[in-house]
Amino acid sequence: MKLGFSPEEELFRKECADWLNAEMAGEFRDIRGITKLTASPERRKEWEQRLGEARWGCIGWPESWGGRNATLAQQVIFAEEYARAGVPGRVNHIGIELAGPTILAFGTEEQKQRFLPDIAAGKTIFCQGFSEPGAGSDLASVRTKGRLEGGEWVVNGQKIWTSLAHISDWIFVVTRTEEGTKGPKGLTFLMMPIDQPGIEIRGITQINGDAEFNETFFTDARCAADSMIGAVGEGWKIAMGLLAFERGVSTLGQQMGFRNELDEIIAAARANGAAQDPLIRQRIARAEIGLRLMRYGALRMLSNTDHSKIDGAALTYKIQWATWRRSLGELAMDVLGQAGEVTDGSTYEWGTLPNLFLYSRADTIYGGTNQIQRNLIAERGLGMPREPRGDI
Amino acid sequence: MDFRFSDDQLTLAESVRDYLAGTHGPEVLRRLDAEGNRDPAIWQGLADMGLTGLLVPEAQGGLGMGLVEAALIAAECGRACLAEPLVDSAFVGVPWLVARGQTDGLDEVVAGTRRIAVPHPINPWLADSEGAALTSVDPLRNLAVAEATEADDLLLNVGALMSAAQLVGLSDAMLSQAVEYAKVRTQFGQPVGAFQGLKHQLASCSVAIEFAKPVVWRAAQALQDGLPSAPVHVSHAKLAASDAAMLTAETAIQVHGAMGYTYEVDLHFWMKRSWALCGAWGDRAFHYHRVEEALLGGAQPIGPEHTFA
Repeated sequence: MKLGFSPEEELFRKECADWLNAEMAGEFRDIRGITKLTASPERRKEWEQRLGEARWGCIGWPESWGGRNATLAQQVIFAEEYARAGVPGRVNHIGIELAGPTILAFGTEEQKQRFLPDIAAGKTIFCQGFSEPGAGSDLASVRTKGRLEGGEWVVNGQKIWTSLAHISDWIFVVTRTEEGTKGPKGLTFLMMPIDQPGIEIRGITQINGDAEFNETFFTDARCAADSMIGAVGEGWKIAMGLLAFERGVSTLGQQMGFRNELDEIIAAARANGAAQDPLIRQRIARAEIGLRLMRYGALRMLSNTDHSKIDGAALTYKIQWATWRRSLGELAMDVLGQAGEVTDGSTYEWGTLPNLFLYSRADTIYGGTNQIQRNLIAERGLGMPREPRGDI
Repeated sequence: MDFRFSDDQLTLAESVRDYLAGTHGPEVLRRLDAEGNRDPAIWQGLADMGLTGLLVPEAQGGLGMGLVEAALIAAECGRACLAEPLVDSAFVGVPWLVARGQTDGLDEVVAGTRRIAVPHPINPWLADSEGAALTSVDPLRNLAVAEATEADDLLLNVGALMSAAQLVGLSDAMLSQAVEYAKVRTQFGQPVGAFQGLKHQLASCSVAIEFAKPVVWRAAQALQDGLPSAPVHVSHAKLAASDAAMLTAETAIQVHGAMGYTYEVDLHFWMKRSWALCGAWGDRAFHYHRVEEALLGGAQPIGPEHTFA
């Protein structure tokens, strides 16, 4: 174990910080400090392209595909400096962290050539079409149908909770391509261009008033026959492979965001005197410890180079951060007191901390609910007997 | 930056785990409990493995290793619910003496003929030492009243770290006992472990334990490296490990049903050791207070300009 950074790594840190700070003080100063995911979408797409041009968009990818083949320590450093410089979150998170690695792992050479350079350059924004109204936790029960017709896939059905679909260029979709199949069999993983008559997107307003996610309707929507990843019927395997990337290095950047949120709560508690209250003090200490648990847990998880092995820590990561952040939102409200329950003016626009409280209600639900996470931990991690599960 | 243990460290911990699994099973705890708690042969076995001299400098005949290795082995001692005061003497007393340059007589410690017990005001008793005897909630712990004259911070931090390390090992063992029981105990025609009401509770224990471990290793490295922030890292570790252990103890008893409340099921040895160690070297209130002070008292700088590796 060696927990400090080497002189070379500190030089790399300076390189990251210098570049990010210059951008945030220069051409992109208007987006500095934005925390809302839906704010200024066009400028943030330009920012994705700027990152791509300077090869900072996906530093963990191989150099041949526009990355820097960065080490874990370098990715930690970049994530820290990114958050520190007040740069807003990535609107192409799905493309960089999920679609790209999936294409890299399972795609054909031709698909890599077609998609990876544009994702790396920030020119192709991806969104994810997994959930359906009848397929939430039971993801394998998807009913959106795909059929091959005249050298094209034709897709009919509906996806839901498609984050940022309204600003995306492509969507990857898990479709049922074998009539009469149930569960994980008979599914195919397709990539479809969004700008076409067969795809309609309707925003869903969330409890915080924002509309980050959508319903996405497919009515004879089309994509080329070779737009599938893996073979016909391998959709479940690809989807599960993709979900494994979700526990990757992106968690490190997320933690710097969490750090900033906790620091903002501490600053608020000092400013309004809540920091004198013994109960609040203890809850702040608890939040700090929870953050440290995630930090060192993620560093250990990512240091494990054998990713084929199911690591207990990897299974537990989602529930830990989601539950922690939901509590953080509650702490923020208790620190603000009644002042957190009102906002100036007539719009339903909340400050950072009330928004954190509202938004964090979703954390324990999306990407696998806490209940599903506990099933996975118990059955895959601890080897406990499986629940009876329908007729899969 | 690298958060992995070296192969040597892992091999060392594994060999201790295997040794204790082979020589120090629950039947040994039962025998010790019935026959006065201590068996010189067990202590000699630990000395023969080099564990009493793990942190003794090589010049005094020890292995000259560091707190990270000691923490890994302390976790194994917790897993086995080791009754002998190896951690107190060799992983708390010895590094404190070495840090003060008091290395005379450490060769006897290596040989297993001398044990180190150092009092601290936060712990007004000592394991296996002279003084008026006390009965611990942990039936395998021999305690005696001690007079502490000096409140040494290093001693406190090493003691708290090694308690935390034992607690994660104890937690692992309690979780695995509960999981094994849930697989074989059947009710309503199926193993009780198939019910979500039970597996979700055990999953929560697994989360608490998996996340406590890296915090303990981080604290060990910080203390070994002498970082100014090490005391706060130690408090993080003690709190996370205490929370994991108490949650797992509570849940493991619940999973065992009425059997979990009996002296007959081995679980209570681990549960009581956990209880005792949660209170040792600073209880939860003490360590919360240290974290609060660091965060809110200004010692730990906050804001986006500060990293938190």
